[in-house]
Amino acid sequence: MEYIVTIIILVGLFVILAASFDLIIGYCGLISIAHPIFYAIGAYTSAMLAKEAGVPVPLAMLIGAGAALVSSILVALPSLRVSGDYLLIASIGFQLGLIELAKHFHEIGGAGGLTNIPPFLIREVGREAYAVLVVVIAALTVWFVRWMATGPYGRMMSALRDDELAFSMLGRNAIWVKVSVFGIGSAIAGLAGGLYAHYFRFIEPDQFGLLASSAVLTMVVVGGMRTTWGPVVGAIVLQLLPQAITFFGLPPSVLGPLQGIMFTGLVLVFMFMRPQGLVAASDLWRGREGGARHD
Amino acid sequence: MLDLAIASQILWTSFATSSYFVLFALAFALVLKVNKVFNFAQAAIMSVAFYCAYVAVRVLGLNGFFGLIACFAGGIATAIAIEYFGFAKLRTRKASPMFVFIFTLIVSQFVSYVLMLIFGTWPTTIFPTMFWPVSLVGGIAISAWDLPALAAMATVLVLLWAFLRFTRWGQFMIAVADNADLAELYGIKKDRVMLVSMAIAGAICAVGMFLYGTRAQVQPSAATELMLFAVAATIIGGIGNLWGAALAAVVLGLVQNSSILFIPSAWQGFMLYAFLFLAIVLFPRGFHWPERASKLKRKTVTTLPASPSEANGG
Repeated sequence: MEYIVTIIILVGLFVILAASFDLIIGYCGLISIAHPIFYAIGAYTSAMLAKEAGVPVPLAMLIGAGAALVSSILVALPSLRVSGDYLLIASIGFQLGLIELAKHFHEIGGAGGLTNIPPFLIREVGREAYAVLVVVIAALTVWFVRWMATGPYGRMMSALRDDELAFSMLGRNAIWVKVSVFGIGSAIAGLAGGLYAHYFRFIEPDQFGLLASSAVLTMVVVGGMRTTWGPVVGAIVLQLLPQAITFFGLPPSVLGPLQGIMFTGLVLVFMFMRPQGLVAASDLWRGREGGARHD
Repeated sequence: MLDLAIASQILWTSFATSSYFVLFALAFALVLKVNKVFNFAQAAIMSVAFYCAYVAVRVLGLNGFFGLIACFAGGIATAIAIEYFGFAKLRTRKASPMFVFIFTLIVSQFVSYVLMLIFGTWPTTIFPTMFWPVSLVGGIAISAWDLPALAAMATVLVLLWAFLRFTRWGQFMIAVADNADLAELYGIKKDRVMLVSMAIAGAICAVGMFLYGTRAQVQPSAATELMLFAVAATIIGGIGNLWGAALAAVVLGLVQNSSILFIPSAWQGFMLYAFLFLAIVLFPRGFHWPERASKLKRKTVTTLPASPSEANGG
C-alpha cells in the first residue's frame, strides 16, 4: 500500500511539474529546460527553513515557492532582454552551476544530499492524507494553467508566441509577459519541490540535473504541448513506465541509463512521428467559452 | 606568495590545455554561423568520437594513429547523421527554433545514456596512461603532449581559414552563412553546404576529443561540460565570429586554469557555469572588435540632384 501511495504522490508531483512547464514552454513558447532547478530551489529552501529555523512546513513550502519565483526572475530578466534563445543557455548555466554549487556546500548536505528533513502530515494523519494533498494541488495546478491559458492572459501568450514583433507593436510589453509566465511556472515548480522534500525527507543535487529536465520535457512533448490534459497524460504514462522497468531487477548502473534512453528516445520518436504529442493542441486560441477565435 | 616561475608554469599549462577548448569553440561557432543552429548535439559528436578512439586503442589494441582515424570516423559520421536525419528533416518541415533546440539537447542526452549503458560511467582515457614525459625549458615544465597539441590546434585553425578563404566550398559556406536563401538563388545547394559544415565540425571535434582524451579522463556525460565551455566562448567571441570564439576560448581557458592561484581547485568546475551566465548577462552580443579598413569595402554611388528644384524635393 505504501508503494502505491508513493507512486500516486510521484505522479501528482510530476503532473504539477509538467503542467507548470507546459505553461512556460508550450503556452508562452519560452525555451528553457531548467525547470527542475526551481523544483530544487523550492525543495532545499523549504527543507532548510523547516529543519534549521523551525519554520512551520506549510509556510516553509510557500517561502520555497517564493524563492523559486525570485530566482527565476533573476535568470530570465537578463537573458530575455537580449533574445529568447539566450534563456535556454542562461537557464542551463544556472541549473548546472547551482547543482555544482550545492555539491560544495556542506551546510545543505553537499553532494551526499540533505537528510532528516521534517515530515509533514505523515505522522499525524498518514501517508494517504499526504497523497490527497498532492493530488489536490496537482488538480489545482492543472485548473490554474487552464484558467490562465483560456483567459486574457492566454490570449496574450498566444499572440506573443505567434508573432512577438506584432505583439510589441500593439504596445504590449513582451518581456514583462515572458518574465511573469516564467516566474509563475517556476514558483509552482518550487512548491512541488517543497512537497517532495517533506515526503521523501531526502534530497541530493544530482536529482535535479539534466535527467530530470529530460523527464519533464518528455512528459510535455509526449503528452502534448499547449493542452490541458497532455502534461497530465504524459506525467502518468512516463511515471508508470519506468516503474515497470524496476520490476526486472536490473542493477542501478543499467537501470539509470535505460530510463534515460527511454525518456530521450520517446521524445525523439514523438518529435518526428507525432510532433503534436498524444493529446493534440488546437491551432487556434480558444477562450473560456470554448469557441475558436482568430483574435 | 606568488612566484614568477609558478605563474609562468600555470600560464603555459593553461595555454596548452586551451588547445582543445579552442577546437570545441571553433566547431560550435562554425555550425552556428553556417547552419544557424545552437548545436548542443555537439556533445554527442564529441562523445562518440572519443569512444571510437577508445575502442580502437584500448579494446582492439590498435596504435594511436588508428585511434585518431577511428576518432575522425566517429565524429564525422555522427555529425553527418545528425544533419541528415535531424536538421535537414526539421528544416524541410520548417520546425521552429525551439523544436530544433530541443532536438539537439535530446540527441546529446540520448547518446550520453547509450554510451553509459555500453561503457558505464567510469572515467577512462584513450591511452592506458595520461602522464607524458616532461622536459624543463627555462624553468618551465613542458610535457610531450603540449607542443603537439598546440601544433594540432594551429594546423586546424590555418586549414579552416584556408578552406573558407580559398576553396569553392568554403566560399559557398560563407555565402550560406550570410544569406542562405540568396545563396540558393545563385545555385548553391544549401543542404549540401550545411552537411559539409557539420562534417567539418565533426572532424574538428574529433581532433579536440583526441587531444582531450589523451590528457584527461572522459565519461559519457563529460562532453556536455566541454560543450558548454564552447557555448560561453562563442557568445563572448561574438556570434558569427569564428576567430573571436577561438580567442575567447584561449582567454577563458587561461582564466579558469589560473584561478587555481586564487580559489580551491574544487570550485574550478563551477567557474564554467559562472562564465556561461556572465557571458549572457555582460556580453550578450560578444566583444565588439574594432572595425578594420577592408580592401573589399563596398562603394555606394551617391547621386547628385540635377537641378535646384530636385534638391528641394520639388
